[in-house]
Amino acid sequence: MLNYSIALGLGVLFGFSLNKAGLTKYSKIVNVFRFTDLAVLKFMMTALIISMTGLYSLRGLGLITFPAVPATYVVGNLVGGLIFGVGMALSGY
Amino acid sequence: MKKIFAYIKKDVWSPYIAGIVLGIVGILAVWLSNSLLGASGTFENFAGMVGQAAAPQLFDNIYFNFIMPPGISWSLVLFIGTFFGGLIGAATSKTLLWGKRESVNSDPQWKRIFGQQTWKRWLWAFIGAIILEYGAGIAGGCTSGLAISGGMLLAPSAFIFIGGMFASGIITALIIYRARY
Repeated sequence: MLNYSIALGLGVLFGFSLNKAGLTKYSKIVNVFRFTDLAVLKFMMTALIISMTGLYSLRGLGLITFPAVPATYVVGNLVGGLIFGVGMALSGY
Repeated sequence: MKKIFAYIKKDVWSPYIAGIVLGIVGILAVWLSNSLLGASGTFENFAGMVGQAAAPQLFDNIYFNFIMPPGISWSLVLFIGTFFGGLIGAATSKTLLWGKRESVNSDPQWKRIFGQQTWKRWLWAFIGAIILEYGAGIAGGCTSGLAISGGMLLAPSAFIFIGGMFASGIITALIIYRARY
């Protein structure tokens, strides 16, 4: 139950940050592919840098262990990514 | 303090500030529940649950038994939270369109490119979302589940996925926008 409460709380923060970054708008998502508004990229990369640093520091201190890392299978990831991009640019979500 | 509240009420934040919030959420998810953020897998968990109740034979396969086990998963609860988080975000900036007519099709840029009709927006969103979810199923995650959650653990798959996503996204946008690119 506690685990689900954590999920709910983090979900609220997740949705809140997505909304405030403007990622709930069609134009923001499509314009990153037109290079007229790079908010999506800035948002993603900032989040990556913060969590990378935090997670690897915490692991270095021995406070956490990593969950299963998403599997790498080059063709699947690449083909999936290629299909995903088409859908993303069409729907704008 | 007043300045902070005024900033929270702004419609669009600096993407760097919002990114810091998401980064902290990503750390907390691993620290507190040993889980990764994700959105696309939720649909598969949920579809599996509905499918096994409706057509157990059809859904009795390797994919739903082992790769994406159905049920109320951590990410499903996260997803419900995400919905309300987005709602709260829009409410604080007074841009919430709940129950208003324009909520069904609110983006001025989309109307400029495709026209005013709402059904077109819904049709394209539906088609796009099917393609998107299919791609996410093959790759093993979406923007949040693979690109961000995998990227923060430095998984190579995340960076391959981001490369593929941008390559085809740029081409698709080029085709849709043509001369207006």
